[in-house]
Amino acid sequence: MEQSLHPLLPDCIGTSFRGLGRLPIFYKEWLKTRWYCLAALAVTWGFTGYCLLRIGRVVRLMGAEHLWLVMLERDAIFIEPLIFVPLIAGALLALVQFAPEMLQSRLKLTLHLPCSHTRMVAAMLGYGLLVLAGCFASCFALMGGYLHGILPAELRAHVLLTALTWHVAGLAAYLLGAWVCLEPTWKRRAVNLLVSACLLRVFFLSTVPEAYNPFLPLLVVCTLSLAVLPQLSVWRFKAGKQDS
Amino acid sequence: MIRFSKYLLAFYAAVLVVWIVPWAYQFLGSRAAKTPFVLYSSVIGDFALLDHADGKAVRRDLQGREYIEQEFDSILPLFYYRQLIADGRLPAEVDGVSISPKLLQTENFLFRHTPTDCNKPRIGLYPLLESRSGRVDLEMPGDVFRITGQGMEFIDMERNAVNQEKSALFTKALQRKDFAFPARIVAGNPTVRKDYDEGYLLLDSAGRLYHFKQVVGRPFVRPVPLLEGVDVRHIFLTEFRNRKTLAFVADGQGHLYALLARSYTLQRLPVEHCDPGRQRISIIGNPVDWTISLCDEQGNTAYYAVDAGDYHLLKAWDSPADPPSLAERISHWLLPVRLTFTSPQDKWVKPRLAFGE
Amino acid sequence: MNNEPVIQCRDLTHGYGKRLIYEHLSFDVPRGRILGLLGKNGTGKTTTINLLSGYLKPRGGQCLVFGEDVQAMPPHLRRRIGLLIEGHVQYTFMNIEQIERFYAQFYPRWNRDAYYELMRRLQVAPGQRISRMSCGQRSQVALGLILAQDPELLILDDFSLGLDPGYRRLFVDYLSDYARSGGKTVFLTSHIIQDMERLIDDCIILDYGRILVQSPVRELLGTLRRFTCTVPDGYEWTADDPELYHPSVLHGRAEGYTFLPEEELTLRLATRHVPCRDLACEPVTNLEDAFIGLTGKY
Repeated sequence: MEQSLHPLLPDCIGTSFRGLGRLPIFYKEWLKTRWYCLAALAVTWGFTGYCLLRIGRVVRLMGAEHLWLVMLERDAIFIEPLIFVPLIAGALLALVQFAPEMLQSRLKLTLHLPCSHTRMVAAMLGYGLLVLAGCFASCFALMGGYLHGILPAELRAHVLLTALTWHVAGLAAYLLGAWVCLEPTWKRRAVNLLVSACLLRVFFLSTVPEAYNPFLPLLVVCTLSLAVLPQLSVWRFKAGKQDS
Repeated sequence: MIRFSKYLLAFYAAVLVVWIVPWAYQFLGSRAAKTPFVLYSSVIGDFALLDHADGKAVRRDLQGREYIEQEFDSILPLFYYRQLIADGRLPAEVDGVSISPKLLQTENFLFRHTPTDCNKPRIGLYPLLESRSGRVDLEMPGDVFRITGQGMEFIDMERNAVNQEKSALFTKALQRKDFAFPARIVAGNPTVRKDYDEGYLLLDSAGRLYHFKQVVGRPFVRPVPLLEGVDVRHIFLTEFRNRKTLAFVADGQGHLYALLARSYTLQRLPVEHCDPGRQRISIIGNPVDWTISLCDEQGNTAYYAVDAGDYHLLKAWDSPADPPSLAERISHWLLPVRLTFTSPQDKWVKPRLAFGE
Repeated sequence: MNNEPVIQCRDLTHGYGKRLIYEHLSFDVPRGRILGLLGKNGTGKTTTINLLSGYLKPRGGQCLVFGEDVQAMPPHLRRRIGLLIEGHVQYTFMNIEQIERFYAQFYPRWNRDAYYELMRRLQVAPGQRISRMSCGQRSQVALGLILAQDPELLILDDFSLGLDPGYRRLFVDYLSDYARSGGKTVFLTSHIIQDMERLIDDCIILDYGRILVQSPVRELLGTLRRFTCTVPDGYEWTADDPELYHPSVLHGRAEGYTFLPEEELTLRLATRHVPCRDLACEPVTNLEDAFIGLTGKY
């Protein structure tokens, strides 16, 4: 049986941590990815800000009336430049977080820590998901806040729900990226990459705003279910699978 | 956990196979489906078809008679009237109706609908034009309305704020006519690219139909009497030049109606199994007759020729879809389960499974 | 104290693809001993380390550490094992303080002083990232972390890789002192055998597919002998005897290694019709010679 340092909390994330919060795995992941996280935040904010400035420019030059009518008549949402930003941010986070673990089999260090492997991998993925969700949520807050003054609830929802699909795709890209990176053999990694690309294609089958509304709840559930795939890669790593 | 991961991976792999393999098969082996252009000819009392075979146009009727181009113009004088005028061959009357270029310009209309027009995300905000502005050209208003459970709200676009006064005025006007909020259907053509504005047709939450527009800044609300049992599902405001019809209306029983503008009566059209949610509909009208076609997803098309005066059926013709090609039959046998996410019938993205044939 | 061996490997069989590394390999490591695993490249040293640390599933057989199957390797078992990965791999994005803070959370017996005592000898700034350190400095960080976690068993994969002689000596002395004073069990590999000799009590010498020898180093050096003799010109050694290791002939002199006493060797050569004169035997005095003698130069 596992011995938790703290009787109530999982041992890998629950021990009190000298002045650094309570999460050693989160601490490690933060040290590893902090520069990337700051860069990702800057870039996603940059793109979001750019889209909002475009909207502001339309309002300034043509009036809010024009903006509304273009959105109603031509189904424009003005945030198209954002479409692949969350996807790239998610995939790169997976790369930054897990590629170093696979260099020189550094993952062995983490897996040798006295704590359940499932929980440890879950904690690493949980960190990534939290970071991404936080980054994406801040972008939504930025958009929601800015658009609140310009657009009515219907049009705001139109923009944000469309963007939501892209951001869920970002989370999926992160989890699939982790699955690909943690896979120990190149042959299987190529297969995983192909499967991941096909799965991610599902998020980008239509450019019609809000086209994913009826599918979104299921898509979110499916995306979260992808979190078990990296466990499979780690299991293969532990079994010593390697390119022969 | 590992077993679950393996099952999940197998599941996603299966999803990809039933999605991508049939798609790739279809992508590589697809052929363009060609449907002929069909129009009823009052001159010959039959449907005239313009078809394409081996890259050449074939003009014929249902009896199998073939026509050269000039003959084809002649049997459809109300459609090809500009060519006939150019040739100096426009007849003075067709089927007892006197013809003039001006009459044809006013009376001819084309109505087209595809299922994607109604199966798509909607934004519940509608601009209400001024239908009697006194100007020749229509103008877009500075506000849009939404219909909530409580009433109608006009939102000023520049201020992004509700215009309370106007909202109350229009809400009261609807309430006075027993309109039950919210609206189930709001049908209109909020554009300035039309000759005149008839506002909107509204179906209230109790299933009652209303004509609603803005006349000199005031609300105009007129209930439209519905026959017992007519359960309105789709409304298409026409705003044709001839101003004879106000809308086409489809109900849940597969009936199609023309809502006549002057009398506000629903005239049932002699067509069957009309479902705008699944069929492409086209109505090509002239002063003498209308040709109505209903085409489903498989390509089965029903054509109806209807008298433009009293709407009785002149002729009907069912054109079944081409039988599936060998390649299609093989693919359905080889790939009994097919998954798609998009459909030509709507603009939604969601999983749709198809089995067997 | 429990006298059960700390490591028990039974009938281990493993290979990659069609290439078999070894078959039915069995060995024990007793408590409190420092055991070195010696073998040429490709004989399965890293494979054995991976099997022992639970990062490889053998085709057959079983490894028990502290009586538990390493395939399961539950967290409490990992807590008792200090693992040094080949190349002194560590989290290079951390500095020495961060990495100590991180590891400390996982080990209830964490000995912070042991770590910082070793760090004081290194000329590194506290904020210097491990990625900017030399391989020798990194090896000290990795060792310090293992010592601080105070494990009962240390598994070290090729600890001398990339280290200059000074750091190798530092590493060996520190480890040796730590292990002997604490009664720790150590299982290690290294490609530099001289380093091992200063450190290990017992050795296992692996040949392709099997264990050649498992014995205490002192016993090995006390019993293994190098023999030489003169043979006629053009003589080729054909006598096949499993107790004569790697006999070879060069310029009329034959040479080989054996555990047989001199009298028995003389008799054995005679019965095998080896035409030798001037037979001389000398004890093997260092582990490297013994290793080469037993495994051959090629």
